[in-house]
Amino acid sequence: MNKNTQIIKSSLLKRKRSEKYFKYFGLTGIIAALLFLTIIITSIFTTGKKAFKQTAIKLEIFFDPKIIDPENKGTEETYKSANYKIVIKNALLNYFPSVNKRIDIRDLTNFISSSEEERLLEMILKDNTLIGTTKELWLTASSTIDVIHKNLEMLNITEKDRLIDNKEKKWFTKLLDDEKLKFQFNKTFFTSADSTEPEQAGIWGSAMGSFFTVLVTLILSFPIAVAAGVFLEELAPKNKFTDFLEVNINNLAAVPSIIFGLLGLAIFLNVMHLPRSAPIVGGLVLALMTLPTIIIATRASLKAVPPSIREAAIGLGATKLQTVTHHVLPLSFPGILTGTIIGMSQALGETAPLLMIGMVAFIVDVPGSFLDASTALPVQIYLWKSTAARGFVELAAAGVLILLTFLILMNSFAVYIRKKYEKKW
Amino acid sequence: MKKSGNLMSSKIKISSKDVSVFYSQNKALNNITFDIDEKKVTSLIGPSGCGKSTFLRCLNRMNDTIDICKVKGKVLIDNEDIYAPNVDPVLLRARVGMVFQKPNPFPKSIFDNVAYGPSIHGLASSKDELENIVLTSLQRAGLYKEVKNRLSETGTSLSGGQQQRLCIARAIAVSPEIILMDEPCSALDPIATAIVEELIDELVKNYTIVIVTHSMQQAARVSQNTAFFHMGNLIEFGSTQKIFSTPQFKQTQDYITGKIG
Ligand SMILES: Nc1ncnc2c1ncn2[C@@H]1O[C@H](COP(=O)(O)OP(=O)(O)O)[C@@H](O)[C@H]1O
Ligand SMILES: [Mg+2]
Repeated sequence: MNKNTQIIKSSLLKRKRSEKYFKYFGLTGIIAALLFLTIIITSIFTTGKKAFKQTAIKLEIFFDPKIIDPENKGTEETYKSANYKIVIKNALLNYFPSVNKRIDIRDLTNFISSSEEERLLEMILKDNTLIGTTKELWLTASSTIDVIHKNLEMLNITEKDRLIDNKEKKWFTKLLDDEKLKFQFNKTFFTSADSTEPEQAGIWGSAMGSFFTVLVTLILSFPIAVAAGVFLEELAPKNKFTDFLEVNINNLAAVPSIIFGLLGLAIFLNVMHLPRSAPIVGGLVLALMTLPTIIIATRASLKAVPPSIREAAIGLGATKLQTVTHHVLPLSFPGILTGTIIGMSQALGETAPLLMIGMVAFIVDVPGSFLDASTALPVQIYLWKSTAARGFVELAAAGVLILLTFLILMNSFAVYIRKKYEKKW
Repeated sequence: MKKSGNLMSSKIKISSKDVSVFYSQNKALNNITFDIDEKKVTSLIGPSGCGKSTFLRCLNRMNDTIDICKVKGKVLIDNEDIYAPNVDPVLLRARVGMVFQKPNPFPKSIFDNVAYGPSIHGLASSKDELENIVLTSLQRAGLYKEVKNRLSETGTSLSGGQQQRLCIARAIAVSPEIILMDEPCSALDPIATAIVEELIDELVKNYTIVIVTHSMQQAARVSQNTAFFHMGNLIEFGSTQKIFSTPQFKQTQDYITGKIG
């Protein structure tokens, strides 16, 4: 071994060691990130999954003609004006004959969700031969009963800390022992909008709100941003002015989203008088926010197209615009699309600017258009999380699960597009 | 040497008059003046960075696409200045085709690669005519036999040599008068190079060809005239045979004997 080899050998040891440290360092980072991710996901999942089922109580319902149709008219109006709460109350009292105090009767009827009155009416409207018959039905329980049923250990804590008092506990235990309680799939969660009662609240209203909002965002921001990106990258002369534009677009991408919300409030609501809380305004605001993201993605993917392709087209006598539209843009499209989808998933998860323009209201109707008042998924989660009632906690977590599912779907779609088209190249 | 120096006088196709090129403040070419004969191969040689590509790109105004590039002087093609304000570079590039150093087929089918030029210029009035142009161009580029059964495959799936011939086919599909080639064989193996050189011999019957090459042997094999560039200056221009046998200048001699490069 000569002298240089000796020197190299000893330095090699040090170099290898620092490489090893660096590797461990990176690995630790990744493990830490994964760990936190797992903790978050599992905690959300364990809470959220409870929202997908709900408690039902089995009762013998007597469709009493004296309550539903006392004068035997047989018209829909009479059915509609009947008080089904009494039907349910009677069924409960039938099961708990010892209950007779007024206040106790009220507490007992609160075991059943008020939405079930509507359901009984619907049954009658569909089939009025039910009147006068007795039918065994699973009725959706109120949220309090649902929470206790899902967390039976709550029965053992002291009365004053418990959601239900001792007499309610007695009723509940009897139902439980008689196997009159079961879990059923919570369809309501996927079909309705917000409600004051947790067992009647659903994600669908805000999901539709988000859908309309993101659709407006996409329709507005995609064509504008791609056109702007192509113009700046391919057609605009390189001078002080375009440099200035470039710097500002990059800055815009870093502006906190709430600023866009304030802008939306000032311009779209106060000056243009667009409807408050409407997806169209939310979409406009989010489009402003997404524009720089898509412009930057467009420019980056245009830049990534090898200059040899441009030269080939120009050399054949293609005009600048032909070169771009025939060759450069198609090749950069996967990149542009990826950027767009990432921009859209950002928009989908955005909350702050929507708060500014009033998409944070309590809205019980599922929006049917861009102009109907609505909330959006993340806002709905925020609303539920900040509500005191115990049943909303799991709804919020379930909402997060839904939102995450959409985000993961969108991002995997972006990855899929990228993978699919990069092979060709 | 296959071709002897040109004794017959021939028509001048391109005439470069006092052409100087600047990249921002840097002068890349200095008062280049010489003539290029019609239907001959003229090769541009010289050490790397001497401005061969820059000069070649002046001939189809490809330099226009570089913002910092300024061209001074005149380039006459058929006695018309291509830098005159009334000349449309797009039209010019249809007359002056170009083949690049690295084969750069479009990531489209072989057919579409060749059909692209004719279709943007509206050279074919029907689908049949377009197909005809594509097939003749492929034939002329000596590629037809190899690809006739796979015209719908992507151009990028061909071998390097085939890709380069595809690019030549693509260039001649527009029926240019002049074909510029910038080191067309530098990315090819010797066999593919030989095929392209044969093709050049064939093409020169119909086209004026200007070729940049770093291989003296190639210049000697394919060209009738040679221009030697050095540091932005045209040192020597003449028949290839004369340049290689009796160079007038020391730099030329040093370069072709391998002392500078
Ligand atoms: N796009 C460009 N921008 C700035 N300078 C360039 C550019 N292209 C070429 N040059 C410069 O011009 C000179 C000639 O380059 P080029 O024509 O490519 O030489 P060659 O093809 O003979 O190797 C070189 O000094 C090179 O650095
Ligand atoms: Mg070069």
